[in-house]
Amino acid sequence: MTGKPPVRFGLLRLADSAPAVVALQRGLFSELGLTVELSVEPSWANIVDKLAYGLLDAAAMLPPLALAAALGLRGPPARLLVPMGLSGGGNTITVRREVADAIAGSAAPQGAMAKGRALGEWLHAQPAPPRFAVVHAFSTHNLLLRYWLAASGVDPDRDIATVVIAPEQVEAALADGRIVGFCAGAPWGELAERNGSGRHLMGTSDVWANHPEKCVAVAEPWANANPLALQRLLRGLLQAQRLCEQPGAADWVAHLLAGQPLRLPVTAVRACLPGGSATERIRFRAGLAWYPRRSQAIWFLTQMRRWGWVGSEIDLPAAAGQLYRPDLLAAAADAEGLAWPDTVTEPDGGFCDGAISDRTKISNDRN
Amino acid sequence: MKILLADDDAERVRLLIQALAADCSITVLRLPPGESLLDAVAAQGPDVVLVDMARPDRDGLESLRQLSASDPRPIALFVDQDDPSFMEAAIAAGVSSYNVIGTPPPDVKPILRAAVALFRRHQQTRAALDSAETRLQERSIIAQAKTRLMKHRRMSEPDAYRWLRRSAMSSGQRIVDVARKLLHEAGEDTRP
Repeated sequence: MTGKPPVRFGLLRLADSAPAVVALQRGLFSELGLTVELSVEPSWANIVDKLAYGLLDAAAMLPPLALAAALGLRGPPARLLVPMGLSGGGNTITVRREVADAIAGSAAPQGAMAKGRALGEWLHAQPAPPRFAVVHAFSTHNLLLRYWLAASGVDPDRDIATVVIAPEQVEAALADGRIVGFCAGAPWGELAERNGSGRHLMGTSDVWANHPEKCVAVAEPWANANPLALQRLLRGLLQAQRLCEQPGAADWVAHLLAGQPLRLPVTAVRACLPGGSATERIRFRAGLAWYPRRSQAIWFLTQMRRWGWVGSEIDLPAAAGQLYRPDLLAAAADAEGLAWPDTVTEPDGGFCDGAISDRTKISNDRN
Repeated sequence: MKILLADDDAERVRLLIQALAADCSITVLRLPPGESLLDAVAAQGPDVVLVDMARPDRDGLESLRQLSASDPRPIALFVDQDDPSFMEAAIAAGVSSYNVIGTPPPDVKPILRAAVALFRRHQQTRAALDSAETRLQERSIIAQAKTRLMKHRRMSEPDAYRWLRRSAMSSGQRIVDVARKLLHEAGEDTRP
């Protein structure tokens, strides 16, 4: 593929970007004849803007933000496609130690709902809404945090004040008291725990078991013009996900992420990887993390509508179907020997309040 | 019109203020170093915010609408839908502009255009500096490898250089990569 410009792939400093870093540095992309350049961005806004204006071809992305950008909720509608899931789980809900102590009382509450009710009691006793940080309004973190709080009798619009802080800065914000808690991706919750600034309350997989986390978003004009490069990109990422999922790989993957370009804290990252010691760990292949399920996109959209961010004029299944394109993954998945899941019979996973994900019947994703 | 400059680069801010000074309808507000973008927006009430895209707090600005129903002045990214190539140039230069929703849209494009020109010039200078720095670093790694060859293999300096060049050509690598590998295998540190 000499002469072809490299594929520009955007990512943030997060452990769940591992497949892109592993695929590049282990030579998986180059074995497939693909040159890839990683671009570490300081904000999600940069990722969306660069995808929308052709300065990035593909990126690790928050599914709700991909949906928001495609629907034009943060600017003009961006022409994006989501052909693949990048990771599942891995986020923690972390609070300052005194909050954890206050809600624990004599006996630490067990289970997401008991913890939520205990936190609710503490929140309702505060004179002003305490500040919680998420990494973006249109993030998995924000939607899962709000779902859990609401299920626990907390009004996320009135009982807390939500602020947005970049993932790599949440730990410092917690330590100096600007916020009382956060929901953020790995390894930042683990780092807060290790530094003593925060306590791990629960993982986001306790809110929605097997929930999808990052997806791969690609610029639609690029994907249309470069079907072969897209195919190779997806294959490289699928191969890297397989490597990252192996428990024995945690050491070398963590060391890879500690080097350039991500420079993540190695011990904290190691704990959050599939072979690690953290209670909430990232899934790269388990739970069909690779598969871009439309029903999951619809769940995110339903939550965004619930909070008043998506108008009733928007057809949610149609929006999900336009953005989420598992059909683009089919050939790459076949080449990597991945069995295509039966999305009708395989459940999405349950929620903390006992609900089961409403799998709107979108069968035959492949066509 | 009040414009808040969210840029930590003092020189670039100085030049931009100079460029905007010609228009007396513009008041330039600066973001005090260390102050968060959101706090500055709340405190200073700008009509337009020019943001260095290298800042990580841009996501906070964009989330205002969803997260603070109580905030009377949410802010939206300025986009010229009719001029995508201008938007591309702005993003490539690393600067974005935000308008306060609810106030009449000011004519922001000339301002953004001035910012884009400045950011681009700054980027080119930066890139030139970076590549000069890289070249210097590479030269010192090659020198270090030559010294090692001269000392441990008793080569003359021209021979050491020829040896490095030959190894590079036969392995299809750059001379500096061969030099780095040699030093690494010898256990000598090179500066990253």
